[in-house]
Amino acid sequence: MASPSIAGLEFGSLSMVDFRGADVELFTAGSGDPLLFLHGLDGLEGAAGLLEELARSYSVHAPSHPGFGGSPRRGEIDRASDLGYFYLDFLDRLELGAPVIVGTSFGGWVAAEILTKEPARAASLTLVSPLGLKTADRREQYVADIFMLSRQELAQRMQQGDPAPLQNIMDLPEEQLRRAMCNDEAMSLYGWTPYMCNPKLAGRLHRITCPAQILWGAEDAIATRAYHQAWAAAMPQAETAIIADAGFRLHADQPAAVAARIAALAGARKEPA
Amino acid sequence: MDIWQFTEQAYYPAFEVPGNMRVTLPQHHCDPVTARQLLNRYLDEYMLADELGLNIMINEHHAAATCMSTSCMTTMAILARQTQKARLLALGIPLANRSNPLRVAEEIAMADCLSGGRTEIGFVKGASYELFMSNRQPTGFMDRFWEAYELIMAALTNEGETFSWEGEYFHYRTAALWPRPIQQPPPIWMTASSPSSAATYGKLGAVCATFLSGTVARSVFSGYRQAYAAQFGHAARRDRLAYLCLVACAKDRAEAFRRAEKMKSYFTTAARLEPQFRNPLGFNPVEANVKMLMSGGGGGFRPRMRNGKTVPADGSIEEYMDAGLYFVGTPDDVYQQIARFHDEVGGFGHLLMMGQAGELDHADTVDNLTLVATEVAPRLKELPEAELDVRYEGVG
Repeated sequence: MASPSIAGLEFGSLSMVDFRGADVELFTAGSGDPLLFLHGLDGLEGAAGLLEELARSYSVHAPSHPGFGGSPRRGEIDRASDLGYFYLDFLDRLELGAPVIVGTSFGGWVAAEILTKEPARAASLTLVSPLGLKTADRREQYVADIFMLSRQELAQRMQQGDPAPLQNIMDLPEEQLRRAMCNDEAMSLYGWTPYMCNPKLAGRLHRITCPAQILWGAEDAIATRAYHQAWAAAMPQAETAIIADAGFRLHADQPAAVAARIAALAGARKEPA
Repeated sequence: MDIWQFTEQAYYPAFEVPGNMRVTLPQHHCDPVTARQLLNRYLDEYMLADELGLNIMINEHHAAATCMSTSCMTTMAILARQTQKARLLALGIPLANRSNPLRVAEEIAMADCLSGGRTEIGFVKGASYELFMSNRQPTGFMDRFWEAYELIMAALTNEGETFSWEGEYFHYRTAALWPRPIQQPPPIWMTASSPSSAATYGKLGAVCATFLSGTVARSVFSGYRQAYAAQFGHAARRDRLAYLCLVACAKDRAEAFRRAEKMKSYFTTAARLEPQFRNPLGFNPVEANVKMLMSGGGGGFRPRMRNGKTVPADGSIEEYMDAGLYFVGTPDDVYQQIARFHDEVGGFGHLLMMGQAGELDHADTVDNLTLVATEVAPRLKELPEAELDVRYEGVG
């Protein structure tokens, strides 16, 4: 079938991979050591800046999670934990033994679900503003409830810079709008309740043994400092770094700084494409 | 035509609070002593409706100043005991927002038993904005509705042994209703605002109500009739179709319009809700959202007047009347307006009448109900069938 395209991702190629009875949308770009990129709530299109940075040093594989973007939902998958098993199979299909794994927000949660099940499947792990740990304790909220916010307020709070075009949905052409609506539905499917978390994840994170780091934006207006600290406490084997001049979508605010951190952790040299 | 008295049982003193009337309205705006007076007053008016020979419809909403009935079945349980003759319609029980459908079946059975078999049960999906309170999963809303419906019907109609249920969404080791309902099952109602949803209910033979849809009711009823005829091989009787509207009746026209103005805040407060609550992520199917947004939509359904224009958000009484949402005037006026609307939409057997709405006070409501019951209802009972230009011979 003809490859679709996504604005901002012209430096690589987008394809549909027939996998276990349904398509998976897969963006690939660059060359070098293999890297699996797991997008966040903003979909593949929201990660264009970081993907472009990563493609300078890595062979980047960036699928749309089932339900997001151009990947159709799968009947048997409705939890992030299900996605963990799904990606273990998909890594086999892509013949990626133990790639560098990077996940932003929801994708960070998915990365944790993969590696708590099979810790040996990553060379290194970078979690960028990860979700997945308990987002609230009774009346205390650690992560803003995105389902309760207006689109305008959510768009403003997600990053320090201007909201991505994707977040101004009324201006989108039909195909991009459809992707945005799929992303919305998938967020709800995986994250409505319990809100953006797997309450059992914290007790499993000790299983992750590869080099790992957690990155947060200094100006995060979605996840609180207490949430950042909860991740550090649940995953003491990971280094935590706070990136200046960045919000929750720090991969959009500071893509070069995030890419440099990923390269440093993996010990890779950063070379021009 | 039968008439059903309906009130949302609003806590109208909160209407002056700016902003959302639902979901996020803080409860300190509710004075429980005032709420007690209002709730008892509305129940008194329902009991008057019973004495006057009207039927009764109740509903429920959650975290809303516009409706203090937070459970159809709680309100119905009171009326099951305190009324004598009226049919008691719950329209409806929000199945996809309920976590425990077997409990719903138990409540129906108890109320039906208590009332001597006077209940009529409406199953509705539930308001999208009430997902925030029920916290049920927005995706799979309709699948969950139908599984709950099938489970409840299995329980209400069961005359055999206890049964177990292992479904996609609901799981029970054993189900038995003690007491059983007297009607096994009570008449079932559903609500539609489009011909396609009406057709689904037509196939079931459930009573199909459409709310405040004005002239759209014609296509809704038509969709129902076609599906019903195809399924059952004969035309649906009028008693399968219902229309919900506001009625302000008085001895003289000026007084009726004054009452209508008092009730109008129903329309203006019902709409006071921010968009992210109206359409939670995952609630509407993707393609429905795409279609709505591509057509510049998102503002929700607006009824149309006879000239094709939509009623403005703060429309006049006359504009709402023209759209068929409001019937206002002397008993003669109200009868003629309803009879005309009945013919325009192809006929229906139940008028779900908001005889109290907004800030209409007790004395006005009593007079409104009394006039409708004594001077309008007897004439509507005799209303001839509407002339239908729909032909069924080619259907099915």
